[in-house]
Amino acid sequence: MLIPFAVLSLKSLGFFSGLGANPVEAIIHDTGLWGIRFLMITLLITPIAYYSGNRSIAKLGKPVGLMAFFYVLNHFLSYALIDQAADLGVIMVDIIETPYLIVGWGGFLCLLGVASVSFKRLENWFNQNRSTISGLVYTATILGVWHFYWQTKVVETEPLLYSAILTVLVIWRFKVTTNQVK
Amino acid sequence: MHRLSHQTKLESIYESYKLHLIIMKTKETKIKIPSSEITSESNYLNRRKLIQSVGLFSLGLGMNESSIGQDQSIDSLQSIKNLKYSTDEAPNSFSDITTYNNFYEFGMQKSDPYMNSGMFEPKPWSVDVSGEANITGTFDLEDLIDFNKLEERIYRLRCVEAWSMVIPWVGIPLSSILKKFEPMSSAKYVAFDTVYRPDQMPGQKRRILRWPYTEGLTIDEAMHPLTFMAVGIYGKELLNQNGAPMRLVIPWKYGFKSIKSINKIKFQERQPKTSWNISAPQEYGFYANVNPLVDHPRWSQARERRIGTGFFGAKQPTLPFNGYAEEVADLYTGLDLRKYY
Repeated sequence: MLIPFAVLSLKSLGFFSGLGANPVEAIIHDTGLWGIRFLMITLLITPIAYYSGNRSIAKLGKPVGLMAFFYVLNHFLSYALIDQAADLGVIMVDIIETPYLIVGWGGFLCLLGVASVSFKRLENWFNQNRSTISGLVYTATILGVWHFYWQTKVVETEPLLYSAILTVLVIWRFKVTTNQVK
Repeated sequence: MHRLSHQTKLESIYESYKLHLIIMKTKETKIKIPSSEITSESNYLNRRKLIQSVGLFSLGLGMNESSIGQDQSIDSLQSIKNLKYSTDEAPNSFSDITTYNNFYEFGMQKSDPYMNSGMFEPKPWSVDVSGEANITGTFDLEDLIDFNKLEERIYRLRCVEAWSMVIPWVGIPLSSILKKFEPMSSAKYVAFDTVYRPDQMPGQKRRILRWPYTEGLTIDEAMHPLTFMAVGIYGKELLNQNGAPMRLVIPWKYGFKSIKSINKIKFQERQPKTSWNISAPQEYGFYANVNPLVDHPRWSQARERRIGTGFFGAKQPTLPFNGYAEEVADLYTGLDLRKYY
């Protein structure tokens, strides 16, 4: 799961013909893209475990989810520290002027909440609030894909594909939870 | 022992502080790229060959070695430097200019035009001229461009995506081409098409934009002395990814107005429908003048990232008309630039 990160790191050191003419953009795009991809995988783990009958797969949710957070955190930090040179005032103005950044922020905050409860001390709380956690991951992914989709100039395949998968997943999750309530 | 390590620590802090000061200083003064950093063209071609040979070993990694690194036969071009219309800012490297492009006919990624344009054939080239002009018909590239009168102009280029470059173009003013066709007084606009060749331009197989790509200018914009038809970069013929064999350069407008690989010129009375304007009319206007005060609905246009400034190059403020206000602002007197973005 760290391979994309390793490739990106090596590229930033000049390997694999480097990061190209706009290295800042390359890092932001790459970390964001892998964040979304790992979030999608995280959400797909539960239905896969459910239908395959292999419950142990479900345990992968947490590590893959944390990996997604790792990429999203890098995505956010490279935006804030490199792209915007850590200038808080400039960041605030940029976020106000750029609607897809607000959406991205929302998703990041959701993930930050989830990641912070995965520390040991909060483990109990985590176990008692699994549906809240999963709801937050769902919200973060929806906001993430929206953020991804919103900054493209033309209709691109990848965000479209993720939107379609997400729609199915959301419907599936609601069906499962309503069944459980019954 | 303890003392010594403490001292080393202090020294390293001092070193990093000095580095910090140097970085701050570089940010304050305009960053000049030393000429040694600008990749020479021969170096670039060698690198391209290297990539080609690497490509042979990376089949199955999604690399298409049949199209990348294909040697395009490029001739040198003789030109006179036009200092009046050139910026003294340092140009971007040849490698930046030829590997980081928006040319959706070859794909949507910035590296796609470089990777996928090898099979495009810019020679021979003919241009179809039609509409409100006394002389119309099909002409060869050489009929349009007087290769003995080429100029070099170093222009800033500002992309609508908030990045910018400085590029040493070779070409001639568009007006010198258009005058040959004796436009009539009914010719209020000039429209241009990019060639449509889906077999050579893989991006055209998907209808992400309306093909052929169309752009247009008012006749006054088209005849303005800054409006330039480029046939080369850095004293060499244009590479396919930069819009070979000829492309417009309108330095005070967002880059998408500077249409590439032109094979049709139409003089017309009505304002032409342009590809990006059709795709998202509220985002890309017909005029598309660079304007830091009018944001793109989804992002700010107040600042830009100059390509080539690396990790720590701070974003710089965007100038009205991309810094060409003195020359072009009077084209728009009385026009509400917020409404006609």
